Amino acid sequence: MESHILANLLVLALLFVGAPLAFLLLRRNRMWSEALGELWRRRRFSLLVIALYVAVALLDSFSWVGGAGAGEDSLSAHEARSVIDRAFADTPRESSYSAPLARGSFYGDEPLRAPGGHWFGTDILGRDVLHRTLKGVRVALLIGGFTSAITIPLALLLGVTAGYFGRRLDDIVFFVMSTLASIPSLLLLIALVIVLGRGTWQVCVALGITSWVGLCRVARGETLKLRELDYVQAALALGTSHLRILFRHILPNLMHLVIVTFVLLFSSLVLSETILAYLGIGVDGSWGQMIDQARNELSRDPIIWWNITAAGAAMFGLLLAVNYVGDALRDILDPRTLRERA
Amino acid sequence: MSERARNIRARALARTLLPALLLAAACSNDPYPPGDAAHKIYYTVFREAHRTLDPAEAYNVSAHKVTGSVYDSLLEYHYLKRPYELGPGLARAVPEPQRLEDGRVRYRFEMRSGIGFGPDPCFELGGAGRRSREATSADVAFQLMRLADPALKVQVTDAFSAVQGFREFRERLILRRELDPAFAELPAHKQYAALGGMEGVRTPSRYELEITLARPYPQILYWFAMEFTTPVAWEAVQFYNGNEGRDRFADHPVGTGPFYVREYNKHLRLVLERNPHWYGLRHPDALGARYPERGAPGDAEGDLLGAAYRGRALPFLDRIEIRLEKESIPRFNKFLQGYYDASSIIKESFDQVIQADRLSPQMRQRGIRLARSVAPSVFYLGINMEDPVLGAPAGERGRKLRQALSLAVSSEPWIELFLNGRGVPAQTPLPPVIFGYNPDYRNPYRQQQDAKRSRARELLIEAGYPGGIDPDTGSPLRLSFDTYTLNSQQLLERQYFVDEWRKIGVDVRLQATTYNEFQAKVERLAYQIFFWGWSADYPDPENFLFLLTCDMRRSTAGGPNTSNFCDQRYEKLFAEMALRGNDAERQRLIGEMVKILEEERPWIELYHVVDYQLSHGWLHNVKPFGMSHPMYKYYDIEPERRAALRLSWNEPLTWPAYALAGLVLAALVPGVRTFLRERQ
Repeated sequence: MESHILANLLVLALLFVGAPLAFLLLRRNRMWSEALGELWRRRRFSLLVIALYVAVALLDSFSWVGGAGAGEDSLSAHEARSVIDRAFADTPRESSYSAPLARGSFYGDEPLRAPGGHWFGTDILGRDVLHRTLKGVRVALLIGGFTSAITIPLALLLGVTAGYFGRRLDDIVFFVMSTLASIPSLLLLIALVIVLGRGTWQVCVALGITSWVGLCRVARGETLKLRELDYVQAALALGTSHLRILFRHILPNLMHLVIVTFVLLFSSLVLSETILAYLGIGVDGSWGQMIDQARNELSRDPIIWWNITAAGAAMFGLLLAVNYVGDALRDILDPRTLRERA
Repeated sequence: MSERARNIRARALARTLLPALLLAAACSNDPYPPGDAAHKIYYTVFREAHRTLDPAEAYNVSAHKVTGSVYDSLLEYHYLKRPYELGPGLARAVPEPQRLEDGRVRYRFEMRSGIGFGPDPCFELGGAGRRSREATSADVAFQLMRLADPALKVQVTDAFSAVQGFREFRERLILRRELDPAFAELPAHKQYAALGGMEGVRTPSRYELEITLARPYPQILYWFAMEFTTPVAWEAVQFYNGNEGRDRFADHPVGTGPFYVREYNKHLRLVLERNPHWYGLRHPDALGARYPERGAPGDAEGDLLGAAYRGRALPFLDRIEIRLEKESIPRFNKFLQGYYDASSIIKESFDQVIQADRLSPQMRQRGIRLARSVAPSVFYLGINMEDPVLGAPAGERGRKLRQALSLAVSSEPWIELFLNGRGVPAQTPLPPVIFGYNPDYRNPYRQQQDAKRSRARELLIEAGYPGGIDPDTGSPLRLSFDTYTLNSQQLLERQYFVDEWRKIGVDVRLQATTYNEFQAKVERLAYQIFFWGWSADYPDPENFLFLLTCDMRRSTAGGPNTSNFCDQRYEKLFAEMALRGNDAERQRLIGEMVKILEEERPWIELYHVVDYQLSHGWLHNVKPFGMSHPMYKYYDIEPERRAALRLSWNEPLTWPAYALAGLVLAALVPGVRTFLRERQ
């Protein structure tokens, strides 16, 4: 199967199965629905911004071959192009730099093919910067999302089992954690990317391996505390299986930590990718790559600022919104504040 | 408080404050000791510590700055004449080839007498406290044998393999070292002597050197104008072995050149001082010992043939200081402040320095001069001719495809975008400064007009890929452009070509890998298109056209022909061309070879580099040489003018320092007041 069809199916599944399911599940749980309601009251704007980013990423993930607006070359008719690509099909390429909304090229002031048509200007190869910035949204969310999908289950599995069963298993997990934590994470990241090779999935896996320790440590500590609580002891005395205790009593009580960690992890992952891009081992089409390609432009005279500004602003907007939401979530889900509200 | 105590306090205060004030008044950004300003010292830079300064190994521009000044060669180039002209250096004359039986060729060099090595502790103490000795033909022979030594990382062994017995000597050396540990412990010169030397290198007398080539290779003479064939003292190699706190020879050059190394601190600077035993002092009439009387057309109008210099004895400089300067922007700023005498132009400041294709008024006002010259180099997109789709196995289809690819990319916009216009679009592998370059020739597949794009599409149809679609699969033909860099800037430069190809409908993907991974791909023949360049070792068309010969194929011989191009017609023409002197027949042969390349397209020729060299008004006789040979002995400096201009350009701006001090004092006032109040 072609990869773009797979991506389309994923998007559809996410939209029409995953989202309603999550919604229903959250509705059924009183604590969560209350928390989300509170979040919406406190951080309405940030949530809307995040939703906008997600919408752009989904539009960029849904693609098909053929159709209108194939562009100037004979190749694009044979390639899968996303909704975002199609929206920019009418924005032609220029020969090189042009400033935002300019009518002429940056050097020589020759008339552009689309005068005033490039909102964020064009880069050295004449590509529309707005288009590239929007394409970067999907990459950023993919890095954040996919890496979290690796990190969180891994951290929970190791942290909870180590905390719950203790003894030798705890020793082993704790040893691995301390070892990983003592290696400078950037060095480890570079080594992993070099071993795994370049590419989106490889970078995500490398980021996942280097970032699970924090959550794992928290989950282990929390489990250590939870397993001594009366109701867990009572369940044990009644002969409930370990698996059941883990899923009914331990995991649900860790969920607030997971959510908060996820949100904070997300922004640090997007930032880490920028550093990797700076070292030449990032993901194609990411904001990090845009910034890296534009770094010499700042020392040009006259200065070319729109590439780095567009990528930087897009990243800033996303990370700020995510951090705001994360901050609010931490406040809301903190058991002490929960009790106060009740 | 007693009177005396108050006095002591005041004195202590004066003692600390006065020097601080004096320091502020005399503050300067001059990085050099004050006494140096009066001397003729030329300042230049190195970007990182040299890996090696051994004349057998050093093979980059930065190292040649040093080795080219410390080591002399048997032959030398005329400083000003273009096309390049070879003349005698340490040798009395350029030797004539002497044809022997069975196709061998012999050259007999006659060396000058009284060539002295630069003073160095490795030599026995001679008369009058002089630690030096005369260099003889045996020292050149020693160096030629070193070139064959597998213990050294010599990158030019291919060129010298024409010398009779070169490879055999190398193999004997390897074998003997393996079998006989006692032999391997001997100093190099004793090892070479024990093996009886190299067959093709003989020294009939103290001043005679005989080189016998197993096959004709007229270009060997150019190698005798390079540091690779300089006289090397066995004492220096034996003494500087890196043991007992002594340097390695690779860090401690000892040669016969116009300068010797007085100080080398890898983290600070390398200082070259005039060599008191230089041959030019004894042979003032030698070509390389005095400033030329005549030059190339146009030299007289510039700064190159001043009456004060013509025919005068070299060198003019007292000292050369090569300083470590890692970053390009500070380096360029120091040039603008007058602390370096010459500089290339950094990309970031290009638009500031060059306006409308000439120096900006701001630069001209400072007396800065610009020298432009085309370097004997070529950059190209190579195509792997052993690839089943693009290369020779695909026959006519592959040829048409290569022609289409070549037509689709134009170098002019690329040079504008990424080189600030510092390049000449290439039509053939040969740059303008090399014999065989034909200014009227236009390669039909390297034209820079949009109309040609439709022709490229036609060629694509003729190749059987209409619209870039492979009829066998029904999907676009996919090619790979294999890079050896992960640097985003360089990838962007290559992305340009990918986008151009896309315009005619060819789907080329950038495969970015590190240099090592790229080499591995080349080993496996798993590459299609690559970006590469070549800078000439010597000014002969052979040095460019050999890059496409069968013997140099990467796949079979590990040579520099990474395109793996091999064409029998080309081969025949090359063999004939290589042996000829520069005449009309040679020009015709080159024309035919270029015709074959035009049709076959193993390369998409992109550009020849144009060097832009800035120099200050007090620096004289600077002519960019193109090849990697420092010509510092021809340079001259007016130290008084330099010192005066440096002062006027670097007047310290002191008021911010005083303002800051004032602010600090003002900020202290509330604290002091509180303190006084509390004490009451």
